[in-house]
Amino acid sequence: MSRLQSPRSERELRARNDSAWLLPTDGSRTNHRLRDDMRRFDDADEVDLVVVGAGAGGSVLTQRLARAGWRVVCLDAGPFWDPDADWVSDERGSHTLYWTDPRQIGGSDPVPMGSNNSGRGVGGSMVHYAGYTPRFHPSDFSVLSDDGVGADWPIAYTDLRPFYEAIEQELPVAGQDWPWGDPHSYPHSPHPVGGNGEIFQRGALAAGIETRVGPVAIANGRFGHRSHCIYRGFCLQGCKVNAKASPLITHVPDALAHGAEIRPDSMVTRVVVDDESGRATGVTYLRRGREHFQRARAVAVAGYSIETPRLLLLSPTERYAAGLGNDTDQLGRYLMVQGAPQTSGRFEDEIRAYKAPPPEVSSEQFYETDPTKPYRRGWSIQNVSPLPITWAEHVVAQGHWGAPLREYLRDFVHWATIGALCEFLPQPANRVTLADEKDRHGLPIAHFSYSQCDNDRMLTQAATESMEAILKAAGASEVMTIDRYAHLVGGARMAARAEDGVVDADHRVFGIPNLYVVDGSVLPTQGSANPALTIMALAARAADRLAAQARRGLTEQQAVRA
Amino acid sequence: MPFRPPHRHGVTPQGRGRFPGFDVLDSVDAWDDVTAGVVLRRLAHPADLAFFTPHEVSVAAPLLDLLLDQDEEPRVPVLELLDERLAVGETDGWHYDDLPEDGEAWRRTLAWLDDDAAERFDGARFAELDAGRQAALAQDVQTRSSEGQKWHGVSAERVWSLWTRYACTAFYSHPWAWNEIGFPGPAYPRGYLNVGVGARDHWEVADSVDRRPTPFAERVESARREHAALVERHHRAHLRAHHREGGTR
Repeated sequence: MSRLQSPRSERELRARNDSAWLLPTDGSRTNHRLRDDMRRFDDADEVDLVVVGAGAGGSVLTQRLARAGWRVVCLDAGPFWDPDADWVSDERGSHTLYWTDPRQIGGSDPVPMGSNNSGRGVGGSMVHYAGYTPRFHPSDFSVLSDDGVGADWPIAYTDLRPFYEAIEQELPVAGQDWPWGDPHSYPHSPHPVGGNGEIFQRGALAAGIETRVGPVAIANGRFGHRSHCIYRGFCLQGCKVNAKASPLITHVPDALAHGAEIRPDSMVTRVVVDDESGRATGVTYLRRGREHFQRARAVAVAGYSIETPRLLLLSPTERYAAGLGNDTDQLGRYLMVQGAPQTSGRFEDEIRAYKAPPPEVSSEQFYETDPTKPYRRGWSIQNVSPLPITWAEHVVAQGHWGAPLREYLRDFVHWATIGALCEFLPQPANRVTLADEKDRHGLPIAHFSYSQCDNDRMLTQAATESMEAILKAAGASEVMTIDRYAHLVGGARMAARAEDGVVDADHRVFGIPNLYVVDGSVLPTQGSANPALTIMALAARAADRLAAQARRGLTEQQAVRA
Repeated sequence: MPFRPPHRHGVTPQGRGRFPGFDVLDSVDAWDDVTAGVVLRRLAHPADLAFFTPHEVSVAAPLLDLLLDQDEEPRVPVLELLDERLAVGETDGWHYDDLPEDGEAWRRTLAWLDDDAAERFDGARFAELDAGRQAALAQDVQTRSSEGQKWHGVSAERVWSLWTRYACTAFYSHPWAWNEIGFPGPAYPRGYLNVGVGARDHWEVADSVDRRPTPFAERVESARREHAALVERHHRAHLRAHHREGGTR
């Protein structure tokens, strides 16, 4: 049950973010009245901020600045989801949740896109993320200084900590007391564990590896007007229950109640910058087949690691001929994915891994650099529970097809699965560029080139061995591993100097004082943590910085000098 | 519950399965209407083919049957489900920079498979070969995929992944396949009450085969032998033919 029970802490939370109390209590999942009554700006209104993308970064930024009294419009290329009408409790039918505009992938280790790492519509990819919300470790912010690889952040863990704490309360996050990184507790106590999680705990215990339940952004018990989890196992298909956190229910309702506009189905095609003043003046976007221009005093791009660099590359001017924020040839570079091998083990007992949320139990025992090993940095291990279509991919990856494929699939209920997130290093050639191919809007599509380095391969190997050891220790008679990737971050990274990145520590694009990037693309390193919580915490911090400047009466130009 | 005529209860593809009496459609009343609509539509007679040409069908239909071991009725209409998807361009969006988008990639790779048939079996069309020879040609692509080799100039792994991804997505989206594997399908708004190792809810059915003293490893080995018997006779034959011609592709 909730530890967040005292009237005082609830009052404090609601004074910061009332979203959970703005949802309906009648068994439906969307407050239609709130959406109908939403404030609507005119294209010709010069709003204080236009935000591009209503995902983890854009939604939190919009909510925070609306609370601070800013006039904010947030545009999203996809729909304004209604979980009742738009989402299904079905693996195949959830295709509409992903960004499926064309993209090209290349390099020596191309990264497939689509369902695994892209979102679309209000809530972004958090609509279909598993729900794991670990913090980064303090060491993640000084990897270059400490380990001689990757990059240092221009901010420290302590800069982000208060925002981690705030967002953990707002989602809210459930889990056991956390011993790794900066030790901390969670506002909600841990969820009960299903068969898959039991196997992980049993195997880890036998193998001498520490695990903890959580951290999962699924309320344990009711939270505001949100329902409790029903353990149906379809987290990755969008939570029809409103139990799992996504910005659609954790930040957008409060943003609307404080006068922000969410404008869905609006594909931004260009950030417009006036060369004479050196300032962004708004964005061009397509809606219902018509081109519009939304005027704004400032622009924040929050389109994630592929679309953010693409949009900035699609917005060149005479002065910024290589694209916005690309004066030092940094835009689109250092894009990262985590190596995410998943290992399954076969058990005599029925596990029925689909019968609980996929996110259950984690270990961060291997997160930090082990000086006795030839590789730097590490990995985390978490439960995952592939549904049948995804499970078939695991089996096919072993080389099975035809009768053996069917036999393994018939054995679905007997398998438990865990997955690793390996900290692959940022590399300059892992980059988004524009391809010759065009999308249906006539705009060049993104090309994402990705190649692994030796450290990456060693981490995958070590992580796989650790997972196989856990499942064998749990009594598995057979194990199988599939190599894959998870998450995207980087591509417009934060740096102390323009030579090393695209934005400064306040998310401001170098050289354009009123243009910001507030999403996962600013991350200089990725740790072995799922990125959603960190992206939200960064957005909350960015909003705090912007609001503070505005309160001091500084223009963006003055703020840069200050 | 929607009406179901006799003999349509607990259907599994080719009548294979381990969960006797289990039928996910018995739970339709416990599903939300949007999800029920999406799932029940898969039971309807498929639309006429709109994407593949007749010649492409002659390659794709036996290939898909082989990939999923659908050697008799009742079949999940994988070809039709796949055709419908490609006809409306419902892809994941991304494609490798050395392959065209998925629809064109399907056309191209089916043509290559037909070319292989002609090259290895005296000008025969893929459709004219018996299942064993067809399976041997498919196995060749899979072997190249496992070994990181190219096939007709592109990564065999990417081609194999394209075929199996589309085939498995169609097959394992079908309620008959869920009956076969004991997966209850949609779970909103009911959810589950009994979670944990060995725990079942009352609408779930125990694995019947596993209770018999037939270890899983033996069953898989038997499936492997059956599959290998299909492939290998011809695989050896065509390898000989291949060496005779001294050709590599």
